[in-house]
Amino acid sequence: MIQLKNVSYTYENDEQNSPAVCDVTMDVRRGEFLAVLGHNGSGKSTLAKLFNAILIPTKGQVLVDGMDTADEDKVWEIRRKVGMVFQNPDNQIVATIVEDDVAFGPENLGVPPKEIRARVDEALKAVGMYAYRHQEPHKLSGGQKQRVAVAGIIAMRTDCIVFDESTAMIDPQGRREVMDTILRLNRELGITVVLITHFMEEAVQADRVIVMDSGRIAAAGKPETVFADEAFLERTGLELPPAAKLASMLRKSGVDLPKNILTPESCAQALLAAAQKAGVV
Amino acid sequence: MAVLELRNLTHCYGEKTANRVVAVNHVSLRIEPGELLGVIGHTGSGKSTLIQHFNGLLKPTAGEVLLDGENIHKDKQTLRASRFRVGLCFQYPEYQLFEETVRRDIAFGPTNMNLPPEEIEGRVVRAAQFVGLSDELLEKSPFDLSGGEKRRAAIAGVMAMEPEILVLDEPTAGLDPRGREKILQMIADYRRQTGSTVILVSHSMEDIARLATRALVMRHGEAVLCGTVDEVFSHGEELFSMGLDVPAVTKVFLALKQKGVPVRTDIYTNEQGQAEILRLLRREGRA
Repeated sequence: MIQLKNVSYTYENDEQNSPAVCDVTMDVRRGEFLAVLGHNGSGKSTLAKLFNAILIPTKGQVLVDGMDTADEDKVWEIRRKVGMVFQNPDNQIVATIVEDDVAFGPENLGVPPKEIRARVDEALKAVGMYAYRHQEPHKLSGGQKQRVAVAGIIAMRTDCIVFDESTAMIDPQGRREVMDTILRLNRELGITVVLITHFMEEAVQADRVIVMDSGRIAAAGKPETVFADEAFLERTGLELPPAAKLASMLRKSGVDLPKNILTPESCAQALLAAAQKAGVV
Repeated sequence: MAVLELRNLTHCYGEKTANRVVAVNHVSLRIEPGELLGVIGHTGSGKSTLIQHFNGLLKPTAGEVLLDGENIHKDKQTLRASRFRVGLCFQYPEYQLFEETVRRDIAFGPTNMNLPPEEIEGRVVRAAQFVGLSDELLEKSPFDLSGGEKRRAAIAGVMAMEPEILVLDEPTAGLDPRGREKILQMIADYRRQTGSTVILVSHSMEDIARLATRALVMRHGEAVLCGTVDEVFSHGEELFSMGLDVPAVTKVFLALKQKGVPVRTDIYTNEQGQAEILRLLRREGRA
């Protein structure tokens, strides 16, 4: 779906002239749910902006469905394929009524009005915001605003959505709503998802995780593999998801637990097994 | 005696208009000196409106705010003094940095307090130490700092006023794990070393469980739960229904209990969880 070949990006105003993204080769596979982790300044947001031609590589090449993002004639087509949801819910709403906001994207693409109507309804249903279609966006919660922003992208029939820390500014319920929406879009509608996040417990739900450090890919693999190396996570300024942290502490004090514990549920399951083995239940 | 007390505090926005909204509804609360009160609640629950009363930025529609037993709206001087005694650090405080250098930005608060220059300088240095900003960084423009550094510089600006009560609205929002950890550590150190009272608004149940001595839960403008961290998190179902959460480690123990394992469910930190599992497994003499 998206291919990066030896991509580097240096911000023009950077005094040291050090690249924010440095010689990255990777791909985003069609239909997958990819999480990108990394501490502040690791280059992960820069990487995200390279995916849909918001930034054009200083070196190397980014291909979206075979189209080069450096090709100015293709920019609109690329943005139609890869949409982006940003961090601040208040900066992404353009209209005064929810359904008008969702219609904004397809209108700009020149979609016929009748079809827009259908797409807007479908998109709002997909994110669970159909009941709010006549509301004023500023009256919605952060999580609801983010879901409206997602609907705006779905209405453009994008194949891939990049979430750039889209859950960072909202409360736990809002985060749950957005995460549930992301998972549903990926599993049910087959939309490719790239999730840039600081929350480890969100990343464990992905098919694949990439860890960025100093502009380079420091690790890539399944969540179980990436989160298995605690020392590595610490070095790159990350942490274990909370349930995995508990499991790691217990392992250190001699409890025999499997390595693949990432969620509270899998942790409880493993502890139940350990308790049965010890004969205490 | 309570250092800060709210008596029946009510705040309405748009009073006498058709859009009247009750943001805080009859909240009474006593905050004791030196405690760390965690405030949790869904967006729109009234947390931010509530904390803006602590130093008189908002005036109650009804009820009173007392600092050391004295109504802060008694007269102009008392109100002005409350601005310095209660330091308020808003969400994303780095958007409020504005001076030419970090040093001048941190000095802004104490300068407004009309302190002598040596005292201001001393406070800036102490505050910078608390938040771990080096001398070299103090001479830079705040806009040349990294995200985490900007956040710490902004918090230092409030700390430099050396308030008796430090109020922080989601100080770790949007930071990476290392940045979050640094800020939390810094808040704990500040409280220990200065003996100040701290009020921490947070969406992270883990942070509240770890740091707070007491927790307050806001919902629809009302204080629905208030007590020790243990008391508040023991209302798991209620918290879920309010769109809040319990720490992930608590979920592990709730799930274990449901599977029939005889464990306590009042487990809110990883350390408590570790101890409880070891107790369970070692009952039979092996781990």
